[in-house]
Amino acid sequence: MITGAVDPAPNYVELPETRAAQTRLLVVDDHAAVRAGLRDLLKDEGDFDVVAAVASADAAMSIAEREPIDVAVVDYQLGRRNGLWVSRKLKRLPSPPAVLIYSAYADGVLAAAAVVAQADAIVSKGGLGSELCDQIRRVARGHSGMRPMPAWLGDTIRSRFGHQEQAVFGMLLAGIDTGKIAATLGLSEADLESRLWAMLHQLEAPHSEYRVADVAGNAA
Amino acid sequence: MRRRPSRRRRYIPLLQRVAGLNVLLVLASVVITVVVLAPRKISSFAVDEEIVVLVAAVGLVVLANVYLLRRVVGPVQALTALARRVDLTSPGQRISAAQPTSEAGELAVTFNEMLQRLQTERWEATGRVLAAQEAERLRIAQELHDQVGQQLTAVLLGLSRVQSRAPAELQDDVLAVQDVVRAGLEDVRRIAIELRPEALDDLGLASALAVLAERSSERLGLNVSVEISADLPQLGTEAELVVYRVAQEALTNVARHSGVDVAELTLAHEHPGTTLSVRDGGRGLPPGNAAGTGMRGMRERATLIGARLQIRNVDADGGCEVRLHLPLKDSP
Repeated sequence: MITGAVDPAPNYVELPETRAAQTRLLVVDDHAAVRAGLRDLLKDEGDFDVVAAVASADAAMSIAEREPIDVAVVDYQLGRRNGLWVSRKLKRLPSPPAVLIYSAYADGVLAAAAVVAQADAIVSKGGLGSELCDQIRRVARGHSGMRPMPAWLGDTIRSRFGHQEQAVFGMLLAGIDTGKIAATLGLSEADLESRLWAMLHQLEAPHSEYRVADVAGNAA
Repeated sequence: MRRRPSRRRRYIPLLQRVAGLNVLLVLASVVITVVVLAPRKISSFAVDEEIVVLVAAVGLVVLANVYLLRRVVGPVQALTALARRVDLTSPGQRISAAQPTSEAGELAVTFNEMLQRLQTERWEATGRVLAAQEAERLRIAQELHDQVGQQLTAVLLGLSRVQSRAPAELQDDVLAVQDVVRAGLEDVRRIAIELRPEALDDLGLASALAVLAERSSERLGLNVSVEISADLPQLGTEAELVVYRVAQEALTNVARHSGVDVAELTLAHEHPGTTLSVRDGGRGLPPGNAAGTGMRGMRERATLIGARLQIRNVDADGGCEVRLHLPLKDSP
């Protein structure tokens, strides 16, 4: 899942810090102050190399296609396209980076949607900088940073999906990669791909405008 | 429902006035007939017999008159009575069997039409106000999240950086400031969620109510047990929002007024229709409880979707229940 640049050595030999040993990061956040804050915070860490800090999903993709990235730190809300879209896209690259969704709302349906988007972790914007750095190191080593889902959320997800989608969701949650999922369920990769997008659409906030009554539709 | 003290009548009722006039007219015509047209007959016949027949005839005419007049005036009286007690928030109150077969009937029909119009207008106005309120809440929630929340996040990131460079004697201070900022972020997030039930948009009603119950325990210290039927019909977005807001308001009321910290929330599929119930074992409604703005708001929301809201004491020992019944919907 991650590129070979990170040292997963189990018996921690102190290596001299070289650029190659650093975790290459991509920061994506559309709020300028947060983006700058993230970049500066992560730059201070000796083992991180911030390759770029960009504001939009498209800019993030064009960087990731050119440069090797180990971990992408992606804000959930990115204007037109959100962080989950970026995550899905990044995961389809030849050597996909680990993806960490950085969001004000780290629980609820976003956690489930992030599973479908194959993100590796969600970190709350209300957390400390050190927690973020720890999570980045975790996912860079190939560990999942997803927390177990509360029961009501699991129930809801199950009620939303058909049998096959539930199976896909369960396997994603268990960290099984898409190739294996497709093989297990007898789907082609393209089938699974379109199914994943559909599941993501289903989970993502529709941001429906609640109208209290039809007559009041134009009141806002 | 407020009731105005009944006014003292300062006029003679229509029925009595017309009946009285008619009696006078009948009597006058009898007298004229007897005195002017047949003055000599009076002495030649037995007076007693004649008077008995006359009085009986006059009495009969008067009774028939009153009976017919009652039929005409009846709708007017019904109209007055209904106009006194009519409550625009509970639909369906009309003068029954109003037929445009007389002026009074015409008036009753017109009155019914006016009630219908008033109710529709009120319904529309309430709908507009509530929609505007929801839109405003959404805007504030987004603004809070996109502006204040993001800036606080940036501050938090900056502080993390300061902390990692600060000398040892400043560490505690920086950590303390960080805690304040984190609390601020948590507040922003909580307020935004209360303003806008994002879980409702994301996950549907059942989950949103579960989240609401969870948050009620965090925020209000209220232990809410939730029971939701598995076979709930699709209610539609408007009805879901009303159910959610009523539950929200009811739980807030339990926390504020009941004196207990346990509540039950059920959403049940009852044929036909769906019923939300929020009940507690607290001290119940005070006697002569006047509807507060929260209650009024709940009722208005309920009326909008054709639902019925009841707020009552469960039994003599206390305990209060808020019930919202949504009639069956054919299609989502």
